[in-house]
Amino acid sequence: MQNKVLGLVFADNPEVDLGVLMNNRSLAAVPVGGRYRIIDFILSNMVNSGIINIGITTQSNYQSLMDHIGTGRSWDLDRKNEGLFLLPPYIESATASDTVLGGIDTIYGAMDYLKRSRQEYVIVSNCNTICNIDYRKVFKAHIDNDADITMVCFKVDKLEESELKRSILVNANEKSGLISDIQIYPSKQSNNLSYMHTFIIKRELLIDLVEDCVSHGEHIISKDLLLRRVKNGRVFAYTFDGYNQTIDSIQTFFKFNLDLLNKEVRDELFATDGDNKIYTKPKDMTPTKYGKGADVSASFIADGCKIDGVVKNSIIFRGVNVGSGASIENSIIMQQSDIMDNCMVENAIFDKEVILRSGKKLVGQETYPVVIGKRTVV
Amino acid sequence: MKSKECVAMILAGGQGSRLGILTKNVAKPAVPFGGKYRIIDFPLSNCSHSGIDTVGVLTQYQPLELNTYIGSGSSWDLNRKDGGVYVLPPYQTAEKGEWYKGTANAIYQNKGFIDQYNPEYVVILSGDHIYKMDYSKMVSAHKKAKADATIAVIEVPWDEASRFGIMNTDENMQITEFAEKPKEPKSNLASMGVYVFTWSVLKKYLIADENDPSSDNDFGKNIIPAMLGDGKKLLAYRFSGYWKDVGTIQSLWEANMELLDETPAFEIGDEWRVYSKNPALPPHYIADTARVKNCFITEGCEIKGSVERSIIFEGVTVEEGAIVKDSILFPNSHIGAGSVVRKAIVGNDSVLKDNVKIGTDADDALDSYTNLKICSDGISVIGVGITIDEGIKIAPQSMVTRNVKNKTEDKK
Repeated sequence: MQNKVLGLVFADNPEVDLGVLMNNRSLAAVPVGGRYRIIDFILSNMVNSGIINIGITTQSNYQSLMDHIGTGRSWDLDRKNEGLFLLPPYIESATASDTVLGGIDTIYGAMDYLKRSRQEYVIVSNCNTICNIDYRKVFKAHIDNDADITMVCFKVDKLEESELKRSILVNANEKSGLISDIQIYPSKQSNNLSYMHTFIIKRELLIDLVEDCVSHGEHIISKDLLLRRVKNGRVFAYTFDGYNQTIDSIQTFFKFNLDLLNKEVRDELFATDGDNKIYTKPKDMTPTKYGKGADVSASFIADGCKIDGVVKNSIIFRGVNVGSGASIENSIIMQQSDIMDNCMVENAIFDKEVILRSGKKLVGQETYPVVIGKRTVV
Repeated sequence: MKSKECVAMILAGGQGSRLGILTKNVAKPAVPFGGKYRIIDFPLSNCSHSGIDTVGVLTQYQPLELNTYIGSGSSWDLNRKDGGVYVLPPYQTAEKGEWYKGTANAIYQNKGFIDQYNPEYVVILSGDHIYKMDYSKMVSAHKKAKADATIAVIEVPWDEASRFGIMNTDENMQITEFAEKPKEPKSNLASMGVYVFTWSVLKKYLIADENDPSSDNDFGKNIIPAMLGDGKKLLAYRFSGYWKDVGTIQSLWEANMELLDETPAFEIGDEWRVYSKNPALPPHYIADTARVKNCFITEGCEIKGSVERSIIFEGVTVEEGAIVKDSILFPNSHIGAGSVVRKAIVGNDSVLKDNVKIGTDADDALDSYTNLKICSDGISVIGVGITIDEGIKIAPQSMVTRNVKNKTEDKK
């Protein structure tokens, strides 16, 4: 697929609520996995699949995303031609900013970018489904099937009611993958193929379909674009069988991070022995220094930390300080937080630069972790 | 080309033979240090922080790794439109081509590179010391004194002074005499191998030196004495921070271990950040069977055994039941289950299979690798890309330069 495909990534998703973690930052810029931001995974996947023209649509508060991405150098996207494009929100008139835009409007806002790109195909994707996927395989299936649209899906077991209400389920022919119907946020589970909010389509066709939707006042990608094409075109499912986790709530954010304590997940996701590594912006931190009082087990720890206490079953981001006699269990501590001596933290998520003064205790529930906002001093 | 006030030249040519097997395939400046750095990161980061954006790296011994490592220079913010970092190997011209004969000759051969930028001053650095120094302050002192050359000096203990190039100065810190490794030192101000020259003056001396067939083409032996002889103004610039030559196995090991002190003499992680190339690895994982105390661990490691007072580089695996103590594990090395590594440096990509013992006093330990010329103080060195078979025991102060096979398996 040598430079035949461009990537269009949504940095935000109005249906996702991560509470204080999204104060002043877009979904794409939420820190995950010790040293990453959510966007790193999809950007790395695209780059590793040979995509060198990527547009990222933004809604608001994209300052921290811009800081993180810069010129795209960390992903080798600082190219002479093409590379990385941050697409600021497109507002047609002053009043339009009051309405919540759907995905169609977001793509419509990127129309100039789409129209002047050279690639024949587009991969349109959310940023918050974390996996390590080779889009070359999706592309090959798309061409082999002579498809109009290929939707990336994964197999699910029995879904909880709450999960079902956030899922788009797909009825596809088991052999050919041809999709006959899709159910958007259903109340009953009738099949076990779930859409991963990534599809591939010809660029010209995407432009036509989006312009058609807009002229009819339609906003929703799944309902107005995908479902309609299912009814009158060739839409196929590509089944991705690797690890994937969508981050769309505090619970799924917590789950994804703790999943990284599992070796199989780490090996697959970070592909440290392979060519499909995950890239991020480097921070030039020193190695982590463990003191004589350190007692660490089953934890995933980034560089630049000073650890002199107990850390168990946790994800520790760059530059975190854990004082002596302090203990952290089952928690996610983001960069530059300072857990002073003799503190106790359990089932918690700390945003960046939180300070927990000596001797303080913070305990959440496993199913309902306590979340502390950026730069809070406790 | 835009003119630059100051250009830096890093002498990275040396093999560093006193590091034995560690520099078999890489130049000394590419040797790993401090958990995620290479020695050359220190002068390069110093240049970057000192506002020197044009740097030549002079190399002729095993340049591939250094070349690959430096790349575009973006890791040190030295990928600039004007200037930037350049690796400069010796080259051939229509008339002749030759290796760098000495430090002065290396600069002489690259005077064309320096002239492109038409600099006032040239900073000459060596690529084998660990220190943080603001060269811009030294250049200011040089400028203010209207000196022809300024040499950075550091006080060393008197009993060690005879190992260094010693500067004798007058009360204004003007150099009156330079003595290379003097038997009876008159001063304890040692040269750090950091020089600032006024380029127009240095160029004349380099040309004269090149035309003298009896010269060794060396800064310390030839250029500096010649300038002193002509009554040029040579200034000693006193530096009081941490500075360490890591040219031997023992000093390399010590400098690494010092990082683990309660209050280290050298703090890598302050505001003067040391930049290095980013290997794009995930955070490290400490398993529930692990025990880590008083150590440096970096990205991409999987630690399941016990690690104490050690420096662990990127991508290292320490399997369950293994014990690593007082050691340095270079990138991507692997320590098998139940293995014990004491007071050792394990080279990049080396594999110790299960139950290997390094630095053990056991009676049946192999002592055929003992190398007292390179190793001292009980430190053992395992080379790069070496595999040591299961159950092998190796005596302290060994230098393992090839794979060690299990003899009992050979018989089968």
